[in-house]
Amino acid sequence: MLDPMMEQLLPGFVDECKEIVERVTDHLIELEKAHERLRFDDLARGLHTLKGSAATLGLAELSELAHRMEDAVLPLRGKTTALPGALTDALLKTLDTWMAHLRATTAKSELPDLKPSHKLLEAVRHAVQAIEPGKPAANNGKAGAEKRKPSAAAEKEKEKEKKSSKREREAPVARAEPAPAEPAAEEDAGAAEEAGSWRVRTREVVSLLHEVERLREVRLRLEERRRELERGISQLARLGILAQTAEVRALLMGVQRALSADGDEAGDIVASMEDELKAICTLPVRTVLEPLRRSVRDLCKQSGKLARLSIVGGEVSLDRRVLESLRGPLVHLVRNAVDHGLEVPDVREARGKHREGIVVVRVEQQGNMLFIEVSDDGNGLDLALIKQAARELSIVPGVELDAMAPAQLHQLIFRNGFSTRRTVTEVSGRGVGMDVVRSQIQALQGHIEVQSTPGQGTRFTLTLPAELGSSPVLVVRCGEHELGIPMPAVETSLLARSGELRVARTRVQLSHRDHLIPVQDLGTLLALRQPEVPHDGQPLLVLQSQGRRIALAVDEVIGDRELVIRPLPPEVRDLAAYQGAATLARGELVLIVRPDWLSGFEKRDASLTGTRRALVVDDSLTARALHRTALESGGYSVHTASSGRQALEQLRHSSYDVMVSDIGMDEMDGFELTLEARRRHELEAMAIILVSARDSDADRQRGAASGADGFLSKKDCASGRLLAEVQAVIARRQGAT
Amino acid sequence: MKLEPRFPDDVSQEDRELLERRAARLREKPRESEEESVLWAAEFPVGEDSYALPLDTLRAAVPLKMVTPVPLSPPHVIGILRFQGQILTAMSLSSLLGGRGWREDPAVLLVVDPGLGGRLLALDCERIPKPVPLPHALVEEALARATGAVAEVTLPGLHQVNLLDLRRLMDRRASEKRDA
Repeated sequence: MLDPMMEQLLPGFVDECKEIVERVTDHLIELEKAHERLRFDDLARGLHTLKGSAATLGLAELSELAHRMEDAVLPLRGKTTALPGALTDALLKTLDTWMAHLRATTAKSELPDLKPSHKLLEAVRHAVQAIEPGKPAANNGKAGAEKRKPSAAAEKEKEKEKKSSKREREAPVARAEPAPAEPAAEEDAGAAEEAGSWRVRTREVVSLLHEVERLREVRLRLEERRRELERGISQLARLGILAQTAEVRALLMGVQRALSADGDEAGDIVASMEDELKAICTLPVRTVLEPLRRSVRDLCKQSGKLARLSIVGGEVSLDRRVLESLRGPLVHLVRNAVDHGLEVPDVREARGKHREGIVVVRVEQQGNMLFIEVSDDGNGLDLALIKQAARELSIVPGVELDAMAPAQLHQLIFRNGFSTRRTVTEVSGRGVGMDVVRSQIQALQGHIEVQSTPGQGTRFTLTLPAELGSSPVLVVRCGEHELGIPMPAVETSLLARSGELRVARTRVQLSHRDHLIPVQDLGTLLALRQPEVPHDGQPLLVLQSQGRRIALAVDEVIGDRELVIRPLPPEVRDLAAYQGAATLARGELVLIVRPDWLSGFEKRDASLTGTRRALVVDDSLTARALHRTALESGGYSVHTASSGRQALEQLRHSSYDVMVSDIGMDEMDGFELTLEARRRHELEAMAIILVSARDSDADRQRGAASGADGFLSKKDCASGRLLAEVQAVIARRQGAT
Repeated sequence: MKLEPRFPDDVSQEDRELLERRAARLREKPRESEEESVLWAAEFPVGEDSYALPLDTLRAAVPLKMVTPVPLSPPHVIGILRFQGQILTAMSLSSLLGGRGWREDPAVLLVVDPGLGGRLLALDCERIPKPVPLPHALVEEALARATGAVAEVTLPGLHQVNLLDLRRLMDRRASEKRDA
């Protein structure tokens, strides 16, 4: 019976052992193909850690069994031969039994018998000892092993180890026997690290994540306070009483500097906490995929097939909960690929294929979407068999079945109870599987698609949302907006040169590596400004998505970031332009633009031709929104600018019928903007209306003197006079010009 | 048996009467407290009119500058912002109400719970609202008359407060979107 304190440690120990066993399994499979010294050493370390940790917890039987596994493997240290197949088999089976025994101990259920494992290991141990240095190991070492008797020296060694094991059994809490000389130091460090792990509930981590989010907002507010303070100081300075306020200004400036430093430090802490939490909450997909190599190997042994599992993108990190839910569907799809998809070696050879089939699992994350493909180069889905099974199982009426297209027939494999197998094997034939796979993927808000080509193979594509996973994003600026573009879509970035641009009446193309690529302006696509030809030196991003390439003109490339992309709230979720939003280091949100939306834009027209155009200039977001609403309701196409400078920039490239500008803006007020606009002859026909929070005669007169055609108070706007005034001043202006 | 009040001998007649009055007051059936007979609301101006939200729907008031604009969004959407780990939509209340402007530019966003399964929304506002008690009877009367998202509560002195039903307001917006 276990010590109650040790019993508490068991669940954590199971997790730890699961990881070690997975690693050891992977090493065994690879070492069976070819010898690799480092891999062998890690295998030995893994087995030794299992032995030592089990002994520490008082699990003497498991410690003894791990010890026997070491016995079977260690004689091969220093040899250059691959592991014999029989040894690999025996070790893999023993590892299964080992884990089953550990789980049963934890669950306090019936313990599996360990004797067959001991016997199996004993048999293969002799076979291994019989391998001479430099001589290739027989793939099945069983026969030789049975005939040879252990040498006297080996017997002596065995006796010595038995005594050692006995000592371990008598003192289970003591440290396990000394490790082999080479890996000892590293192993101890690893064991210490493993002993330092905790088990934490998911909801506690999620709640911690939310707290970090709040802290990030506090940091953002600190920054806001600093800016307010800065404004206060500059207002004090403008009062013209510098001498009298010198002391207080110095004090405030000190507070401002301190606030800034505190804000930066808070930002660093938040970023580091978020990184740590992300590491806790996510795991690389390979942790689920790597163990599938064992499944493929075992299935091949059972079915006489040859197969190789290739994993692409295993390093993508995902929420642990999503990964755990994906484990079942992936196991099923990979096993199906081997069992149903791949042909036996002779058939493959006859069809001109390599004898060894290939199953590929490809993982790709694009923003907050995860794509997993499981494909094989086997026989493809057999449509005749699917029809026959569907008919026999009465899944679809015969008439409908005959009219079904191949893609519709493929969908039948997801029906409950569907199977093309006549007999039930350990692997398949019960008709439960693909429907379960689909419902598990749907439970994750994802979907599964199948494509198949007769004689060439089958590909399943799983598409899932991935909230916690991070992905690389290129952050760019367009006007006042910062936007993100998923890096996988970015082929290259370059600076526009007029010699490389082909400008036609309706389109601009970039000559890039002997290809002509359509050029689009991000600001135009997002309806922020009118179409314009990229100027010399303007950054262009060559994007590729869904087989289409475009060169996207942006105002500035800010840099690449590793960001967690989250879905937009429902009110804006169905905007096709965006994949989601992510938080930048300082806490501000950045919208992530969908590459397929950008690349598919060529046929859509974002220009403002055919309607009256208005430019709304206001530093208040909400005022811009309201003026836009009013003007759009009157049939105007509206662009907005948040400052005088930005408005002048827009006016340089675009023409408008009317500009509605706020007066009270920082940096450049509405009067200055009007004066600047009136200095440009090309803007002569444009009407200008100034809007002010104050309704004063002085402002009206100053507005008229600077060249404005109309003046409205915000109160006038609130009572609905904006549209009428806009129409009146346009008529007046155009009449005058 | 009649219970006689126990007074110390030196208590004057005047004090005795005062204590009797207090005791009688305590014996009275408790009247509904003011707290129970009113609906506390957060009142704020929208243009020329006065609007209010039930106080329990209000979660926070945050600076408007924390908003990220969303190009291509409908005009009533000001942008998105982060609030306690959630990404919220900031909406122009004036635009939602079919209004055309504010007397002064809104400086704050009210984070509200419109009763959409815990999902929060932010609405722009000229000033931080002030809490006001609205008599339940008047509120009930206004709600009975209301056909849309706004119930006109007429307070004594003919001051009118438009009580907003955010859920209805959002539902209306959603149905307009569907129709479009």
